[in-house]
Amino acid sequence: MTDTLNYPDVVQMAVPLFVVAILLELGWIVWRGRGGRYETRDALTSLVLGAGSVAEGIILGFVAWGFFMWLWTLTPLDLGASVWVVALCFVLDDLRYYWVHRFGHRIRWVWASHVNHHSSQHYNLTTALRQTWTGTFTLMMIVRAPLVLLGFHPAMVLFVGGLNLIYQFWIHTEAIHKMPKWFESVMNTPSHHRVHHGRNPRYLDANYAGVFIIWDKMFGTFVPELDDEKPDFGLVHNLGTFNPLRVVFHEWIGLFRDVTQPGLTPRQRVAYAFAPPGYSHDGSRDTSEGIKAKHLARNPSDSGTPGFS
Amino acid sequence: MPLHILLILVVGGISAITLLLHLLGKSRLAFLTTEDARGAWHRHFPDDDIRDVIVAQNGHAAFVQTAQGPGLLWSFGADTVARHLRDFDLIEAPNHLQVMFHDFTAPRVTLHLSETERPRWQELMALT
Repeated sequence: MTDTLNYPDVVQMAVPLFVVAILLELGWIVWRGRGGRYETRDALTSLVLGAGSVAEGIILGFVAWGFFMWLWTLTPLDLGASVWVVALCFVLDDLRYYWVHRFGHRIRWVWASHVNHHSSQHYNLTTALRQTWTGTFTLMMIVRAPLVLLGFHPAMVLFVGGLNLIYQFWIHTEAIHKMPKWFESVMNTPSHHRVHHGRNPRYLDANYAGVFIIWDKMFGTFVPELDDEKPDFGLVHNLGTFNPLRVVFHEWIGLFRDVTQPGLTPRQRVAYAFAPPGYSHDGSRDTSEGIKAKHLARNPSDSGTPGFS
Repeated sequence: MPLHILLILVVGGISAITLLLHLLGKSRLAFLTTEDARGAWHRHFPDDDIRDVIVAQNGHAAFVQTAQGPGLLWSFGADTVARHLRDFDLIEAPNHLQVMFHDFTAPRVTLHLSETERPRWQELMALT
């Protein structure tokens, strides 16, 4: 069994690339007068969140690493480290990403961590860096366990996870309308991911893919970007603060307040933590299903169209 | 990558991008007309039935009266944010009014109103 396997920390290595790409996108927008929007404080918040996320990885990375190495001692399987094994690991890890991401939108406990990535009303390359600081607390590392138990070395699993994150950087842009058809049909693209960041009722809970859009097509969550309905970026209830600490922790605080409010049954308390975002015991809030239903009540002609079928 | 190099890259990159954005004029607040404010309110609260919209003279805030209750819409960078006026304190300062929402996601809004419109806004918000 391979005990030591070393891969570079590709996310850290990509930091200069991120900076250069942001400057290029900004230059393009300024030069052409189209292709997206930038706002100083919004971008600053995104960049600070990105830096904090890298710091969180450095500080708390040992938790996931320790867990994976413990699993590695349990499994009798070792697939080695050939290029084909790395490629297979990349594809399977992308399937893992799809489900973690889907959980991130459908389970409030995980949404509390992921929400900050969606908290900007802008959609540009800085938005890609608006990453969580609290991912470790969601315990979603468990979803990676099958990969390690199947014989993919933990270092390889983390390496392909980093590649996955880097791939997703470039799709956070309005500067690219559509990629060639063959590419759009298989890969996650700016167009597909703009849908994912849309707060329009049509686009809620769609396109969870990381690298390959095929997972959404397989599991019924794919919605195409419509030319006559531009995605409106941000949250259903947008934040009124650029303070990074408020952005990072607001949903955790909301969750804690909801769970601990007086007069609830144990079942209701559990639902406030683990039901889909928007759950309320008294029906005073809307989940994405409720938002879609209200939209259809106002716009019945949208029934049966993408996102409402 | 050595930690100190990473730190220099991150701090330098963030500072350079932020400064560049500011120099390019990307720090300007959204300017609202009555129609903008109406559209923006519906963007935030599509189910609301708007009765009246009063936009501040500086174009950075609007008092919105709806069938669901009064609300405040304000410029948030290049965009807007809106909240119903349900749970808040109004603090008077020499040059502005400060709306303190009891809301972790939107703690406070500073309203720069002219001498003529300030009493009217105070009166409207006192009625909520």
